[in-house]
Formats: sequence, C-alpha cells, structure tokens
Amino acid sequence: MATLQINGQTLDIGTIDPSTPLLWVLRDTLGLVGTKYGCGIAQCGACTVHLNGAPVRSCQIPVGNLTNEAITTIEGLAAADGSLTKVQAAWVAEDVPQCGYCQAGQIMSATALLQRNPNPTDADIDAAMSGNLCRCATYTRIKRAIKVAAGQQPATAFYNAAAVNGERA
Amino acid sequence: MNMNNTHLPPELPSFFHELVGNNNTNATTAITDTTSAGVASEVSRRSFMKLSGLVGGGLVLGGFGAISTQKAFAQEAADVSTLSAYVQIKPDGRITLFSKNPECGQGIKTGLPLIIAEELDCAWADVDVVQADVDAAKYGANQFAGGSLSTPMNWMGMRQAGATARAMILAAAAKQLKLPVADLTTADSKVLHAASNRSWSYGEFAELAATMPVPEVASLTLKDQSQFKLLGRRFTGVDNLKIVTGKPLFGADTQMEGMVYATFTKSPQIAGKATSFNEAHIKSLDGIVDAFIVEPFLDARFFSANSGTHFGGVAIVATSTWAAIKAKRELEVQWDTSTAETATWDDLVARATALKDQDGEPLMVNVGPPGPNATRAPADRGDVAAAFASAAKTLEEFYEYPYVSHAQLEPETTTALFKDGKIEIWAPAQIPQGGEAGAAVVAGVEPVNSTLHMTRIGGGFGRKLANDYVFEAAAIAKRMEGRPVKLQWTREDDMKHDFYRPGGFHSYKAALDADGKLTAFQDHFISHTGNGTGPMTSADLAPNIFPMDRVPNLKLTQTLFQNGIPTGPMRAPASNALAFSFQSFVHELAVASGKSHVQFMLDTLGDENAAETPQGMHRGRAANVIRTVAERSGLDQPSEPGRAKGLSFYFCHSGYVAQVAEVEVRANKEVKVHKVWAVADLGFIHNLSAAESQLEGGVIDGLSQLFNAKITFNNGTIQQQNFHQYPLLRMPQTPALDTYFIPAGEFPPTGGGEPSMPPILAAVTNAIFNATGERIRKMPLSDLGYRLV
Repeated sequence: MATLQINGQTLDIGTIDPSTPLLWVLRDTLGLVGTKYGCGIAQCGACTVHLNGAPVRSCQIPVGNLTNEAITTIEGLAAADGSLTKVQAAWVAEDVPQCGYCQAGQIMSATALLQRNPNPTDADIDAAMSGNLCRCATYTRIKRAIKVAAGQQPATAFYNAAAVNGERA
Repeated sequence: MNMNNTHLPPELPSFFHELVGNNNTNATTAITDTTSAGVASEVSRRSFMKLSGLVGGGLVLGGFGAISTQKAFAQEAADVSTLSAYVQIKPDGRITLFSKNPECGQGIKTGLPLIIAEELDCAWADVDVVQADVDAAKYGANQFAGGSLSTPMNWMGMRQAGATARAMILAAAAKQLKLPVADLTTADSKVLHAASNRSWSYGEFAELAATMPVPEVASLTLKDQSQFKLLGRRFTGVDNLKIVTGKPLFGADTQMEGMVYATFTKSPQIAGKATSFNEAHIKSLDGIVDAFIVEPFLDARFFSANSGTHFGGVAIVATSTWAAIKAKRELEVQWDTSTAETATWDDLVARATALKDQDGEPLMVNVGPPGPNATRAPADRGDVAAAFASAAKTLEEFYEYPYVSHAQLEPETTTALFKDGKIEIWAPAQIPQGGEAGAAVVAGVEPVNSTLHMTRIGGGFGRKLANDYVFEAAAIAKRMEGRPVKLQWTREDDMKHDFYRPGGFHSYKAALDADGKLTAFQDHFISHTGNGTGPMTSADLAPNIFPMDRVPNLKLTQTLFQNGIPTGPMRAPASNALAFSFQSFVHELAVASGKSHVQFMLDTLGDENAAETPQGMHRGRAANVIRTVAERSGLDQPSEPGRAKGLSFYFCHSGYVAQVAEVEVRANKEVKVHKVWAVADLGFIHNLSAAESQLEGGVIDGLSQLFNAKITFNNGTIQQQNFHQYPLLRMPQTPALDTYFIPAGEFPPTGGGEPSMPPILAAVTNAIFNATGERIRKMPLSDLGYRLV
C-alpha cells in the first residue's frame, strides 16, 4: 500500500504501477480532477501542482519516485471553510477564464510565484507564467489578476463583483 | 460534401453551410429559409430582425407551448415551480435559469441567462444557472456553439422567455392578491404595488404562476434598451468559482462507479484502415481489460457537423488512463492504406506556385437560394480585361497560407455507457444534438434511447463541431456493455487527426486608375477537393469579401487539387486565412495608389449611407470602425523610432472589426508586437467582460497563428504531433491591448468569437512592411525567418 501527502492529508493510493504519472493518480485514482491533462510532455502546464511548494508538471512525475513530499493541487488552495486565496479570488473577480481548462495550472503557477515573490515585476510574472499555455489567450487578464492579488493595482469594476464568494449551484 | 446521413435530425443540415463558413451561399437568401433552424452567419441587420422573430418564436413555442412539459418538470422536485424550460422559481425566491447552448469559453452559459434575467426583471444575485440538457423538443434545433451565433440566434428568444415568465408571475400575483394586474410592476425579483407601497418576492407567486396560461408572444412587452438594468455591464462567468477550485466541470472530469478507461488509435496515414494488431501482447499487459478493432463510421475525411464521422482504429480499454496510454505505445497495427490519403504539402506548394500566372476554372457561386437545386454561375462581373487595359497601375501578387490545427487545450474526450439498450454520453460537444443522434446510430438504438449530457468544453474553436470522438466512445461503450467508458485522446491523437483549417493559395491581380481608384480585381484561388465535386469544408471562396464586394470589374477562378486531408471550420472559418491575404493585398494597393491606407479603404467602401452590400455589410459601420481605430491608435502620428503601425479591417459573422498593430522589427527578424488597438462594432454588447475577452483572445490567437502555426503532411501523414512542434503564443509574447466597442445604437447583438480574430493577421504584416519595406505574402512568418518575441 502506497500513500501520498496531498493537500495536507495522507491518501492511500493502493497498489499502483510506479511509472504512473502523478497526474493520472490524482485524476483516476483519487478523483482530484481539477488537475488537467493537456499535452503529456510538459509543454502546456495544465497539469501544474506544487511539490514542496514548487510548481511542477505532474505529467512528468512517476508516482514511484514520490515518498513523503507535500503535494498541493488546485483543490487544496481554498481554506476548509471554502474561502478563496487572494489569487483564486482575483481570478474570479477579474473574470480571467474563457474555456477555463488551463486555469488550474495557471493558478498553481501564479500562487507559487507570489509565495516566493510577493511583489513581482512584469518580467517576473512573464518568466513565472511562460510555461503555462492558454489557448483562449487570457494572458492579459492572468497578468492583471496576479497584480490585483499582489495588491499592485485595483480590481476591475464588475457589476456582480459582490457575488464573488457566494457559491452558486 | 458528404451530407447524406439520413439518420440525423432533418433540421441540422439547413444551418450547416452557414456554420462552417460556406461562403458560396448568399446569406441574404439563406435566411429566407422558413424553418426555425434557418440561421445565417452573415446576417444583414434588416434580415436579422426577421430572423430573430423566426428563431425566437420557434424557441418560445418549443419551450412554452406544451403545458405537459411544465407538469413533467414540476414533478421533479416538489418545492420547485417550473414556469418554462428556462425558468424555475423556488418558494424562497431563488431562481434557476437554464442555459441551453454549449459553453466553450465564449461565455454563453453566463450570457443567455443574463438576457432572460433582464426581461424577467430579477436580481442577478438571486439566480442560479444550470446547463440544460440536449432536448430539441424543449429548446429547438439550435443547441450548438458555432458561427458566432449563440448570442444573435437566441437574443430575441431569451428575452421572450424572460418576459413570458414575468408575465405569468404578474398574472399569478394579480390573482392571488386580488389586484388589477395593471397596478402591479416588478423590480429585482419582486412584485411591487406602488399604490400601497408593498412588495412580494417572486417566490410567493411561483407555484400559482406555473399554472397560469402561457401568454402569446405577441402580447409580451419587451424592455426598451434604455430600461436595461443588467445588460451592457461587465459580468463574471457563472462557472468561475468551480474553475478556480478545480471542481468537476469538463468532459474528462466525469467519474462513475466501475468506470474503465480507453484510448483509440487511428492510422497515421489519413484514412488507413486497421486490419490486425498485436492483440495477444496488448491484452497481456497490466491493467488491460480489452483491445479490439472498431470499424469506420461513414467517411471521416468529410467534415460533417451532424454525422460526426470517424475513422476506424484500435481501441484499448484499461483500468486506468495510464495503463491505456502505456499499452497504446506498444501497439503495432497493420493498416490497409489502399484508399488512404497520399497528399504531400510541399508538392502542393510547388504545383500551386507553378500555376500562379494562369487562370483556373470559373469559380461558381450560388446566385439564388442555396440547396441542391441552387442556381450557380461564374463569379464574374463587368469587364476585367478592359479595366486592366486602361489601368494606370496593375499589381499581381501570389499569397500562400498553410494548414492549421485547432489545438484547443482540452484533448478530445467522451464518457459513454451502453446499458439496457440505451446509450448515455457525457461530452464536450459544440453540436451536442448531432452527437446524440449519431451516437444512437453507432450504438444501434432508437434516437429516443440516446442521451447526451453537455459538459463545459475545454476549448472548441470549431474542432468540437465534429463529433468523431463522441462516436468512437459510443462504439467502444457498445462493446463494453454495462460499463462506463471514458475515452481520452492524447495530444498526439488530436494533432494528427484534426479537421484542419485548409491551406490555400491566391494569385491576385488588380487595377488602379489614374486617381488611384480600384477598378478591377482578379483572384485565381487554389484549394482542395476530396471527392472532386467541390471544395473541402472551409476551403472555399465567395465574391463578397472586401474589397471584392466593392469593385466594378471582378473575375474569380479556381483550381482544386485532389486532396482529402480532413478540413473543417476553425474560428472564423475561411476568414481566418482570407483576411491575411486579402487585407495585405489591400494595403499593397493602397501604397500603390499613393493614398493613405485609411483613405484608400474609405474610397473603396464608397457611399457610407448606401444600402448594405450583398453579404450584409453596412458601409457606414465599416468606415466607422476604421476611422475609430485610426484615431485611438494615432495611426497617422509617427511611432517611436524603430517602430511602425499597420492597419487592417475585416467583416465577417455580422461583426465589424478594425485593428492596428504597432511592431518593432529587431536584428535577426525578431518581431516585438508592442501594442494592438482593436475596435469592434458587434451591435449591442450585453456582457462587456465576455466581449472584451473574445476581442483580446482573438487578437492573441491570430498572432499565434500568424507567426507559428503550420501543419504539414507527407504521403497523407501529418508531421506535427505536440506543442513542441506546434508552438502557441505564451505570456511574454503578448502585446498590450486596447479594446473598444462602438456604441450599438439600434443594432442588435452579434457574436464576438469569430470576427475578433481575422484583422490582426494583416495588421501585423502591414506594420512590418511599414517598418522595414518587406512585404509578407506567406504564413506562417516563421517560414520567412521571423520570430515573435
């Protein structure tokens, strides 16, 4: 029986082919489907998770190589009471997503950036986010949301901004 | 085109040619189609009003006509009152609005309920949005995402849906309160009685309202635009919270008890058929449940929005996605390639280039209503030879652009369950009704026994108008009877088996008179045919593109190469390539004329108060976006040293967009696009945030395509397999963006997804010309040594 440390919990993954990328363990074995498959070759960043706080491409990490590392996925960012992180809240309020498929990976990269560099420059943001593709091309909003989350610029005016933290069916 | 699938809803083919950008169809005549599905991608404003009435009326009758439908709904939950297929209200006042069209990032899951909410006169904070299921009886035939039509084809219908529910609530309130209905008004999900200064939540009347007679559409009073409380502002997407917290939402997020996981492998040489494979070895691998050959379903070379054809191949079913992918890598298949494609892109380029100084066959276009009996005639007018003979200047240039892949970030995926003689599907599909109908055929069940649930689509761009992956999943599920199967394409499957944007070639010739006025235009268009009877999907040309629509003497000819590499609609089909070559050539003509680019375009447009052009382009609206973008960008002001600006304009899918790009060309042909100004007239903008997203995304998508996108094939085999061979634009390459929407006045909304993209292509190449003097006549720019930084 193997276990992984995910989002602060020790999770049993049973007996599993050690070559299985972490991505598919998260999605198929544990049902944590927020982490997405996009390319399988570390080109798109849709599968980005944190390993001991650093952003990594989960499609490239064989589960057999993992021991006791702390893994954080998109499902593990918000607090237990559901309150969002600043990055998540800015993503919602700035209406970043178009199709939304890449955004879990984008948020994981942005979260790691602000954890190590709370006041990034444009060049810092470009460098930290250049491994994440967005085919819908939401890059200008991603950058804006990072700056809003960092407190560098005010939020954009939206009609329904007050509804940001209200769960909808 | 192979359109002969008779198993599918008869409504679907009537919008097909519009959806895929078949410009051979004259749009003004297309919308005389009297069915509710007669929607058009190039709809004139005048025609739009007529169209809206038809579609809206059809939808509302479909949704509201059957009282039995209301009862059926109402039985689902005792405390929910169902006013229609679109509106449910709970006693506590919570309102559920059903969004009937697929969400692929265009924002329609937010946009359609917003329109309902406006006329329902409810507070947006009281609304929960639910994705409707596929149901033509309730929602009509237009449950698709394509042609930038999701908003315009539903605008009037959704308003009527909201107003109908509001009228039923008011009628119920009047009855319950024993007050004259004329004394009651509404606001923010409340019924108001001004005389007594009292108000009640909609929830208090919901149960009675659900039993009230459904009012006639003609009796409804819709709001005037000046009365809108919600529409026109910025709204955030209704799924944003789920997206940022990683909740299940997309196709591949479907999870079911006992689920197995599948891959599907097709012939690398397009249209090869699997005859055998190393079955014993594959089945001996860990985690493999089954492996088998799936026979082809119709002919996938020919894109069809409703047949959703697929090639045969080898299915591997396993206990996990990884086991299925790992086994796929060890798969050895014998392919019968006797009827497979053999085209090679480099050969086609050489053959096309050799033809550039010749005319082709006359390019035939419809001159009346479309359809099998349409009257066809050569796209000729005036006397081109005489105009060239008397020209002051003549230009002849050859343009080339490649095949391109959609590369939506979500690879194709579908979950399917075949059980008790029924097929049930969970899929990200842009034409889910076609998917549901075709899955019935594949599974061998009656249409009533096929159900497709729409998931959020992780990027469509036209790729998921085809349902090939849906039918592959249905075929595999049929074999795996009783067990849910999740089919997952790899990125390599996606890139090697797309319905590509076709490459093409244009040999242009144009004449200017002594005043620099455009007098003649000629194009020998070189394209592709799969069956010899006409161009492949989205590989056609129509004479209604600016400036062809404005030139007195016109002659179009074409050569079709035998080449059945699958093609299909991609964001702004046809326009996404034609805008590059046509609007670059317009700039060449402007330079030759001695006029400014803006002045040449305005002179070519002519009388701005004149009637609309045949494809529905209003010349005044076109001129307005051109002038506005020139002003906002300071087009006639010098840029900083080393930089230059370029302009382009394009009209498609009823939208007018002009863009200016400011570029810097550095050593080694490194190009920095510093800023792009985009001005659009899309009629009334009902959710400003979604519209801005589409305009920004269109610009960046276009830059990505312009610089890097190229699919090649060798003996019918696609050469690119993943993003390392097909680079997309990344954040550091993204320019600053200035977006602006022309205030709509009386014009109703059109869609923003497609018209937002085409102009940027030539705006950049025209800017590079202004910066360096080098004219670009070929995409992608990486082939010419340019690199976007």
